[in-house]
Amino acid sequence: MIILNGVTKKYPSGTIALNGINIEIHKGEFVFFVGPSGAGKSTLIKLLMREQVATSGTIMIDGIDIATLKRRQIPHLRRKLGVVFQDFRLLNNKTVFENVAFAMQIVESSKREIVRQVPRVLSLVGLGDKAGAYPAQLSGGEQQRVSLARAIVNNPPILIADEPTGNLDPDTAWEIMKLLKEINHRGTTVIMATHARDIVNYMRQRVVTLEKGRITRDQERGGYGLED
Amino acid sequence: MKIRTFGLQFKEGLIGLWRNRVMSLASIGSVTAVLLVLGLSLVLIVNVNSIAEYVESSVEIKVFLIDELDSSQVETIGAKIKQLEGIKEITFESKEQALEKYKKQLGNNNNLLEGLEGENNPLPSSYIVKVEDPNTIGDTAGKISAFEGVEEVTYGKDVVDRLLKSTYMIRIVGSILIGILALISIFIISNTIKLTVAARRKEINIMKFVGATDGFIRLPFVIEGLVLGLIGAVLSSGMLVALYNYFYSIMGRNFGSFFILVSSSLAPFNQTMYNTSLVLLAVGVFIGIIGSAVSLRKFLNV
Ligand SMILES: Nc1ncnc2c1ncn2[C@@H]1O[C@H](COP(=O)(O)OP(=O)(O)OP(=O)(O)O)[C@@H](O)[C@H]1O
Ligand SMILES: [Mg+2]
Repeated sequence: MIILNGVTKKYPSGTIALNGINIEIHKGEFVFFVGPSGAGKSTLIKLLMREQVATSGTIMIDGIDIATLKRRQIPHLRRKLGVVFQDFRLLNNKTVFENVAFAMQIVESSKREIVRQVPRVLSLVGLGDKAGAYPAQLSGGEQQRVSLARAIVNNPPILIADEPTGNLDPDTAWEIMKLLKEINHRGTTVIMATHARDIVNYMRQRVVTLEKGRITRDQERGGYGLED
Repeated sequence: MKIRTFGLQFKEGLIGLWRNRVMSLASIGSVTAVLLVLGLSLVLIVNVNSIAEYVESSVEIKVFLIDELDSSQVETIGAKIKQLEGIKEITFESKEQALEKYKKQLGNNNNLLEGLEGENNPLPSSYIVKVEDPNTIGDTAGKISAFEGVEEVTYGKDVVDRLLKSTYMIRIVGSILIGILALISIFIISNTIKLTVAARRKEINIMKFVGATDGFIRLPFVIEGLVLGLIGAVLSSGMLVALYNYFYSIMGRNFGSFFILVSSSLAPFNQTMYNTSLVLLAVGVFIGIIGSAVSLRKFLNV
């Protein structure tokens, strides 16, 4: 489903953030990307979202070489990807319901669909009773769950999370992980970049280790494996 | 794009305008100024053209004859003029008729002309010639002046030329002024919209990673520019109509029946205002959209 072949990313500043990455991610997999700060995890995610373009190599998603996408085709790629960030990226002047509905309005869902789908997703992430609240009235964990709801509300086949637990305390982090696992069980491919050693070790999923822009380890049911 | 989506985006556009009301007002002011100058220039040009046309259509060639001609020579000249191409009408005015007309024009003061009858009449006899096509008037006049027995030929071409030259000046000065003002407006509008873009940066970023199309993201900003242009167009049209009305009433009050007479040579009021307003609307919308395009080109990449 996702195939990277010799992917290299050199930023204009001269930094080589990724260097010859080869990897294959199958439908329904749960993959952790781990590695020290600056290893290139976020860069990899930006390449998948086509926020950045690889300097060389190819990235295939669903059989499409995403480098060949025209500007107006990029939105269609992004609709296949739900994304969650460390800093939640919610709109503070919109309620929980509106923040999630926003993602549906953008893909021009009908009002009917929005009214039906948003409460479902909110109850899936355990926020069924917070629909009318504003982000500022929520805890960090709750805010991250809203952003998770927004990421999956359009049923994308792939969910990408860049340090989704980075700003959360351990207990809250575990709740988010449970949700990600559940979403993965429903058939969504989940790709997560993280520094959370305990989580990675506990989850026993595929772990890809990046160091200085290269893959140094790729283990099924692996552990964090690195000394910090 | 669905109607409902468009409605939501329209609302976003208006919210953007309201959020930067001070800049929005500045934008509207500048658009109104350009359009007002444009409108005034247009109305001026249209009217001068209309007056020129009126003068042109009423111009006639006066062919003054030398005194020493007998009646058959006078008739020969008349016949030769008639044979020229494009002559619409030719009338003869004798020395006596010319004096009568002169007397009438001078009214009660005609003791000035006493003793000038008969032998002493200093006025020449003449042909008054009207042509089909005003553009040929110069040529025709030239040909006639070469005829034997013709003393002098005059016609109103000079007036027309001067009028047309003045519209040329209005055009040049107006174009330069409008060009400068339009650039200023585009600059102010694009800066207004940049502020909205900045205020909605986070939202735009979210829209992008959720998969919004460029068109969807841009629409509110285009609407914002469009509304600014439209408001400017409506205001300037209103001002123009008011100014034009004011001009008419002042002229009517001060020059009365004379103005009524002259105004028949001006461009028709309602139609001129209607056409000019349409032009202002189109140009206003154009400036607004260019203004937003300028700001979006730089700010919405990735
Ligand atoms: N936009 C950019 N322009 C230039 N250099 C960049 C840019 N983004 C990242 N880099 C550089 O590329 C390298 C990889 O950065 P990246 O953000 O991918 O690391 P990371 O693995 O996500 O790190 P962290 O764990 O701290 O989030 C770093 O050296 C970083 O400074
Ligand atoms: Mg990172």
